[in-house]
Parts: sequence; C-alpha cells; structure tokens
Amino acid sequence: MIEKWRLLDTGLHDAFYNMALDEAIAIARSKNFVPNTLRFFRWNPSALSIGYFQSMKEEVDIQACNERDIDYVRRRTGGGAVYHDRDGELTYSLIIKEDHRLASKDFQETYKTLCSGLVLGLRLLGIPAEFKPINDIIVEGKKISGNAQTRGMRVVHQHGTILRTVDPKLMFTLLRVPSEKIRDKMIESVEERVTSINRFLKREASFGELKEALIHGFTRSFKIELLPGETIEFEEQLAAKLKAEKYATKEWNFKR
Amino acid sequence: MGKAEYKVEGGKLIKVQLVRKGDRIEKITIMGDFFLYPEELIEELEEALTGHLLNETDLTALVKTLVEKREATLLGASPNDFVKCIMMAGEKDD
Repeated sequence: MIEKWRLLDTGLHDAFYNMALDEAIAIARSKNFVPNTLRFFRWNPSALSIGYFQSMKEEVDIQACNERDIDYVRRRTGGGAVYHDRDGELTYSLIIKEDHRLASKDFQETYKTLCSGLVLGLRLLGIPAEFKPINDIIVEGKKISGNAQTRGMRVVHQHGTILRTVDPKLMFTLLRVPSEKIRDKMIESVEERVTSINRFLKREASFGELKEALIHGFTRSFKIELLPGETIEFEEQLAAKLKAEKYATKEWNFKR
Repeated sequence: MGKAEYKVEGGKLIKVQLVRKGDRIEKITIMGDFFLYPEELIEELEEALTGHLLNETDLTALVKTLVEKREATLLGASPNDFVKCIMMAGEKDD
C-alpha cells in the first residue's frame, strides 16, 4: 500500500510563528501525534531568517528592516541568511522520522534525497533543476532554492525556499555589507548567481501552479501519497508557546 | 577584539571573533553559514576553547576530539577550517 503523508498549507504567517510551527510539527512527529508531513508556507510580513550559527547584528541591517516592517528571526537550522519575500517566495518543510527509508545517517545524502522531490517538481514546471551539494538546487548554474536540515528527537526536519522572484537589491539593503562599494558588487554577483522561477520561465507562475508541481514532484519522487490535512491542537498550542518563549525573543534572535 | 573570516573552498563561510589574553583565548564566538549538528555543540566548543593556548596543533586536536566524541556532523567546514579562522582572528587581536 502506498505510504500516506500529511500535506499542510499554512498560508501567510509572521516569521516567529512560522519557525515555531516547524519545531512544533517536529515535536508532534516525534511523539507520533502526526504522520510524516510536507508543509508549504509563506511570510507576512516579509522577513529575513538567519542560520543558527550566524550573528543577527553582523548579518542583518536591523534599522533597514525596522523601517520597512520586515521581521528577522534565527532559524533552528544552520546555513545562511535568507530574505523571504511575501509575494516572491514559497517555503516548504519536510518533517519525517529519522528511521524513514528517505532519511540516511549521512546529512549530505539526505539533502540529496529530500531535494529530489523539489528537483522533479521544478522539472515538471519546465525548469531543468539539479541538486548541487551541499544544500542548493540550481538551474543552468544559478541557484533557485536553498535548503537547511537539522535533526533531533529521532526526526529529520528540512526546510527550504523556492524563489518565485528575486530582488538582490532589496536583499542587500536588508543585509549588512562591509561598504557601499562592496554592496554594488554583491548585488551584481547575486544577479549572476541566483535566478527565480518567473525569471527562468519568462512568465508569472502562480503560487498555486508552483505548489501543484511540487506536490507532483514529491509524490512521484518519494513514492508517497500526500493527503491535505490540518495542524492539530497540540501543534498549534506548542507553536504559540514556542513563538512567545523562543522565536520572538531577543535572547534567541540575538544570542550570537 | 580580533575578527576573521574564512571561506572554505567548496564550502561555507566561517567568522570568528576572539579576545586574547597573552597567548590564550579569553573569549571566542564562532559564526557562519556552515551546518553543525547538534547545533548546541557550538556553545560547548566555544566554552572548551576559552582559556586555551592559541596553538594550531592543540586547537585542531581539541575541536576534532569534541566533534568525534559527540558524534557530531559538520557540513561545509572541517575542524581544520575552524582552527584556521581562529588562528587568523588571534593574529588580528593585539
């Protein structure tokens, strides 16, 4: 019988709730309260997330974010700083048991396996995507998706971004750079190294179209069935608690 | 305070901020866009490095031992890369 996973589409939320819900789902999965889960989500307001090991003060121009009502949050996963545009980016999370056939002890191997669903989904949209170690998905040499993974409580949690549009200029207005001169160079470099779905397809792909393609990609690549579902009470309560006590706090966000 | 950045070839960026007292590390923060699991090991690592002599061989052994002992996964950087960046930051703090 084909394996059934839960499909969540949690829509638009603020950065702190988004990160809190990811952790809450991982905890719920570890307790077997919920099945393996694919979650789609977006960010309102737009937000910057930084990797666990990054310094908020070093990476983020706090004032520039505040002026534009852009949230900033530390992730529970490593990796780099990411700008999550409300209208330009789709984020996903995969939360599965560590003993699942798709999860290996080897992180690099697991990145490749879990990213295969995204790669196939993008290909179904007509984008010749490929996985590029360590944690990127590229198309014709340019990055279109970044991914980050952690574990804990015998659960693998991977989340990542799929760029529908890209605005390097805005990104480097929000990120701290050593100097104005370097800022222009960094913008140019991102223009060369990063692409997006709309840019590649030379048309507007809707979030609906994108999600549908990714659902096909994941179901075919993982040989699973995705059943649309809802978050459970436990997850919602825990997410509210984790938001208030962790992700929305200065202690967490400025701890490095 | 000494600050250094080290981009690992084919890997990630490491940033170290360090205060030295003589030949020893008085305070250290290791930052960057690498992956380390379990994540909390970074704090344990910084604690272990505090008070330690700025000696490349010794520091490499210390970092390697801790990573192995905790069965940790380091992606995009190696213990050697961490120590390279630590030594660079140490030289900058005079």
